Amino acid sequence: MKNWRNHLGLLVPLLVVAGMVLWPVATGNLSNRENSFTILKAIALASSLNILLGYTGYVSFGHIVFYGFGGYVGLYFVNEQGWSIWAGILVGGISSGLLAFLLGKAILRLRGAYFALATIGINEAMKAFVNNFDLFGGPIGMTLNFSVYRAYGGAAEALRLSFYIMAGLTFAALILSHLVRTSKFGLGLQAIRENEDAAEVMGVVAPDAKTWAYVLSAIIPGMVGVLFFFKNGNVEPHVAFPLHASIELLVMVMLGGQGTVLGPIIGAFAYQGMRGFLVTSPIFKDIQLSVSGVVLLLIVLFIPAGAIGWLRQRIPSLRRVLA
Amino acid sequence: MKGKIVKLLTLLMVASLFLAACGGGATEAPAPAEPAEPAAPAEPAETEASEEPAQPAMEEQTVVIGFTSSLTGSQEVSSKRQVNGFNLWMEQVNEAGGVTLSDGTVVKFEAHTYDDESNAERVQELYTRLITEDNADFLISPYSSGLTSAASIVAEQNGKVMITTGAADDDTYKTGNTSLFQLYTPASLYMSSTVDMLKELDPEAKIALVHESDKFSTSVAEGIKPYLEANNFEIVLEEGYASDTADFGPIVNKISGSGATVLLGGGHYNDGTALARAIYDRNIGLKFVYLLVAPADTKFPELGDAALGVATSSQWELAATHNEAEASNLGVEWFGPSGEEFATAYEAAYGDPPTYHVAGGYAAGLVLQKAIIDADSVDPEAVKAALNAMDIMTFYGGTKFDTSEEAHGLQIAHKMVVAQWQKNEAGEFERVIIAPADVATADPLYAPSAP
Repeated sequence: MKNWRNHLGLLVPLLVVAGMVLWPVATGNLSNRENSFTILKAIALASSLNILLGYTGYVSFGHIVFYGFGGYVGLYFVNEQGWSIWAGILVGGISSGLLAFLLGKAILRLRGAYFALATIGINEAMKAFVNNFDLFGGPIGMTLNFSVYRAYGGAAEALRLSFYIMAGLTFAALILSHLVRTSKFGLGLQAIRENEDAAEVMGVVAPDAKTWAYVLSAIIPGMVGVLFFFKNGNVEPHVAFPLHASIELLVMVMLGGQGTVLGPIIGAFAYQGMRGFLVTSPIFKDIQLSVSGVVLLLIVLFIPAGAIGWLRQRIPSLRRVLA
Repeated sequence: MKGKIVKLLTLLMVASLFLAACGGGATEAPAPAEPAEPAAPAEPAETEASEEPAQPAMEEQTVVIGFTSSLTGSQEVSSKRQVNGFNLWMEQVNEAGGVTLSDGTVVKFEAHTYDDESNAERVQELYTRLITEDNADFLISPYSSGLTSAASIVAEQNGKVMITTGAADDDTYKTGNTSLFQLYTPASLYMSSTVDMLKELDPEAKIALVHESDKFSTSVAEGIKPYLEANNFEIVLEEGYASDTADFGPIVNKISGSGATVLLGGGHYNDGTALARAIYDRNIGLKFVYLLVAPADTKFPELGDAALGVATSSQWELAATHNEAEASNLGVEWFGPSGEEFATAYEAAYGDPPTYHVAGGYAAGLVLQKAIIDADSVDPEAVKAALNAMDIMTFYGGTKFDTSEEAHGLQIAHKMVVAQWQKNEAGEFERVIIAPADVATADPLYAPSAP
């Protein structure tokens, strides 16, 4: 019984996400499924970013580069080489991890604002590279032939399968986030976040730890990219590397509470749920960007610690659950 | 205490901002969805079925047409005009009593629309919502090829017909789809009339192909290269630029250094206007400047003299509007109002002369209306069959779709014209047609050849 309580920090996030997966299944509503897909995608990406931002304290403004790069590589193999979506997702994740490893060795020596600026540069440089890389279709990008979907039973089945794979990737992101947080490695990352010099004195090999955190935070976004472009039927450079999406991810993590497993879920759910509601609301749909801006401003002003931080501060008994 | 006061003040400021935004939206939002009633409405679009001898209407059926548009984002200007055109068609056809089917059912139309922010992330979600929650019977595409590709999968999944307007890229139709029907001339053929004109004007012209690095503009440039080479034109510069480029100084330097005499390129509105201004400011001696999309907008002359002589391909121009006689000569069926009737009604409703984006939006509704009349049903499969068999001409031009499996829905009958900004005798800017010769209203403004 006690053992079960010790795992509440993982069980609660898993149950919340399971509810989001079951909601469209139970209602049998395609629109709910699409809505849920967008939210699950945001949770998977935000939870991955949280490994770097929340645990290690490094702000990456260009984290979407892994989503775009992995997505491009994976979709290339699916569309041009006839690989299955499973193999495409795998290769997308590996290539993003590899890119993060190489980049990490170079730019994780930088700290604070310098690191943040470097990540923006990398995203833009990658977009420019792909724009001029003929193998990936250059500026035209790649358009998926519908015949690819036939292997999965047609467009309808392929979209349904994409939802379940997205759910799987979201669960994987949460478990990874929890494992990092509760491991010795994660403790090292949190020590780096609090004081990198002191952490090194205490025996944490900061450059290695940061690089591995960067790699772990890049793998799931690469996989999500492949899946999203597969489902969307095409990819173009400006769709694959949107800088504003990186900033939205930062907002989601900070909104929910960085450095916790549940925080990015709450943030992604609140942010994407709100956008989804506003964009389809008869009252707000024409002014939805203004309204979401105002709501975010209010949250940042009044709940700077994020939802989890605010709840933990006010209700001490929830501290075990809201890990 | 002081902190609380600051927060309270901030809250009040934000609340007032919010209310102001809501207030603004309340007055502005209905405009695209419900255009002002035309002061002098044009003759309603011909509805063959509605002209049949009066029968007692058995029932009225409302057909829901769903689409997303870019109310915000990079495609905002063109997308809004397209929506205005579509709404004008809907207003007119509903006012004329809708479409009456042979069983007496009166079909009226209603639109459901969302803002896609020119962003691919939510397009599939919004189209799924349009189909499952709003019960859309037919779909119109978003304004761009990339967004249309994403939306077409949802249309295919749900067996819905999607009329595309503003999605010119050829690849979008080469996916094995069965639901798309394109109204625009495909991107690969955008510049062919211009090249034909150059053959006559200056076969020795040296070409600089300088275009926005996006799906549409690159497709146009890639599509015209083989045609330029086949006609022995020398391409002295081929360059793409980022969509958000604002400083065209380095690009203009490259054009100048390449020895080009003719510039073909551009992309969309914002970059096109910036490029036109940069070329004018540097005065690099080009004989002819052709840009995509931007010069087709009525706001383009706001550039002043930088707009003079800039040409573009246009899907439709009032001065070269298609007419019943042309349809008769080609032996195809004519349908809908004349170009003049359409333009008068649009100007009365929106205060602007219509651009080709407006005409495309209107034509989307018109083609769907014709398909419903031909099918004598609103059943998606029957309407799809009617569209596949369609071969008509409207004021917008020819409409016939490729029905092969390889490129289903690709437009094969619509032709573009080349328009150019010139000054009339009063010194005012006007957009004239310079090619093809049979519809030209003025000679091209082309710099004399160097001695």
